[in-house]
Amino acid sequence: MKILKDVEKIEWKKCNICGLLQYEDHLRCLKCKNNDFERIEASGTCKLLTFTILKAPPAEFRDRQSYALGIVEFENGIRVLGQITTQENLKIGIELKPVYKKICNNLDGNEVHAHVFKPIN
Amino acid sequence: MNKVAIIGVGHTKFGRLQGKNILDLLCEASLEAIDNSNTGDKEFDSVYVGAMSPGVLNHMTGIASALVDRIGLIPAAADHIKNGPASGGSAIKAGFLAIASGVNDLVLVVGGEKMTHITTPGFITSNVATITHHQAERRHGVSLPSFAGLLTRAYLEKYEAKLEWISEIAIKNHKNGALNPIAHFQKTIDEFMKSAIQKGKGQWNDVNEFLRDDKTNPIIADPLRLFHVCPISDGAAAVVLCNAEIAKNYCDTPVLITGVGQATDTHIVHEREDVTVLNALRNCSNQAYKMANKTPQDIDVAELHDAFEILEVIESEDIGFFKKGEGARAAHEGLTEIGGKIPINPSGGLKARGHPLGATGVAQVVELFWQLRGEAGKRQVEGAKTGITCNFGGFGNSIVSILVERM
Ligand SMILES: [Zn+2]
Repeated sequence: MKILKDVEKIEWKKCNICGLLQYEDHLRCLKCKNNDFERIEASGTCKLLTFTILKAPPAEFRDRQSYALGIVEFENGIRVLGQITTQENLKIGIELKPVYKKICNNLDGNEVHAHVFKPIN
Repeated sequence: MNKVAIIGVGHTKFGRLQGKNILDLLCEASLEAIDNSNTGDKEFDSVYVGAMSPGVLNHMTGIASALVDRIGLIPAAADHIKNGPASGGSAIKAGFLAIASGVNDLVLVVGGEKMTHITTPGFITSNVATITHHQAERRHGVSLPSFAGLLTRAYLEKYEAKLEWISEIAIKNHKNGALNPIAHFQKTIDEFMKSAIQKGKGQWNDVNEFLRDDKTNPIIADPLRLFHVCPISDGAAAVVLCNAEIAKNYCDTPVLITGVGQATDTHIVHEREDVTVLNALRNCSNQAYKMANKTPQDIDVAELHDAFEILEVIESEDIGFFKKGEGARAAHEGLTEIGGKIPINPSGGLKARGHPLGATGVAQVVELFWQLRGEAGKRQVEGAKTGITCNFGGFGNSIVSILVERM
C-alpha cells in the first residue's frame, strides 16, 4: 500500500520583494506577483486562533464520531489548519505543538499522514 | 453597454422532490419562465445552466444542451456554468454579459440541483468538501460546516457577540420561509417545536430551550447546531433576460439588472488575514454598486447566502449594511426583519427556502424580482425598489453579487 507521506517539516514561503509570508504552493506572490521566494520553517510553539468540534465527518473519516479541528499560528506567523488531539478544555489562545501521524485512510484505501496539534498543558 | 432586463421568472418548489431528475427540474423552471415572460414563440440566443455537480450526483453531463433540446430551443447556444454553490450567480452573470455586450438579445438562465436522493452517509459532505484546498484543508477532514464552526467561534470571541443572536437569524429566516409557498421548510421554529411536543419527543418552555436541546438541535460543528445550517434540497429557478430596449414588448413591469460583480479570495481560508472578513464579497459588491451607481444605503432588500447563519451576519457587514462586528447585534435588534431597516432574506434564505446548490443564485434573483414588482405576498418588503444578492461559492473564495432595480 502506497503511503501518502509528506515532509514532516511545516514550511511556508516568504516573498523576496514584498515580504508576504504565504502557503508553500503559490507560484507567484499573492500580493505582488513576484516568483522569487525564501522558504520559511515553522518555529516555536503555536497558538490556537479558532476551533470547532466536527460531529458530521466527511466519508474519509466515517469511522470516527467526531474530532476537533483548529487553525493555529506559529510564533513566526505561519498558520496551519489541522486536527487537535483532544476535544476537552480547548480555548482560543492556548498553546499547542505539532505531532506528525496517520490521520485516516482515504477513499482509495491509502494512508493519509498529517500534522495534528496537541495542547501543551 | 446595453441595459439588461428580467422579463419573466420560474421557480420549482424547493425540497425533497421525488420522481423528478435534474433535467426535469431545469425544464419545469425554464418553461415557467418562458411562459411568464411571454416568449413562448421566440427564438433564444443563449441558455446558461448553473449546476454544481450533476455529473457526480445524477450521472448526467451535457445538461445544458440536453435542456435546450427538451424544451424546444434548438439551435440556441447552450453552456453549463459550474462555480460550486455560486453556479447560479455565475450563470446570471454570463447571461447579463451576453446581452450587455450586444451579442445576444434574448437569453434564458436556469440553475438547479437534485441532491436529496443521495443517502450514503458523508457522501455529499465529501463531494462538496472537494472544493476546499486539497493539501492544506481537505485531507485534514474539513467539511463546509466545519469552516462555519471555525468562523462562528472566531467571530463570537472577537466581537463579543452571542450565539443566541445567530440563532435568532435562523428563527427569522424560518418565520419568513413560512410565508413562502415554494420554500423547502414552510414552518416557524415555534411550529417545529410544537410538532415535536405533539409527537412526544420532549417538553420545552420556549424556542430558545428547544434550540439548546442536544437531541432536537444536535451539534454539527461546535458551536454550530443543526438549526444554524441550511438543508440540502432539490429544485430549480430560472430567469429570462433581454435587452431592456425591447423589454416592454414582453412585460409591463420588467426589472433591470444594473450591477454585477464577482471576485475571488484565497483558496486557503486561514491565509486570509482575518478569517471573519469576506474580501471577495467586499470586492464583488463594490463592483456591483459602482456599475449601478448605488451605495449600500440605497438597498431596500437583500438576499444573502446563509448556508450557515454566521454567513448572513458576516455578509451583512462585508456587503456594506453594517460595520464589521455589528451584524449579529443588528440582527438581534430586528434591523434585518421584514419591516426592519434592511430586510435580509425575506424568502427564508437558504435556511428555509432550501439550498439546491446550483439553483440558489438564480432563486435569490427571482425573489428580488417578485419583491420589486410587489408580488411577494405576505413576505412583501413594502416599497422595495432596489435589491442586491450575495451568492457564496467555495468557502468564500468565489462570490457573485447581482444588483437589481425597478425599471
Ligand atoms: Zn510579494
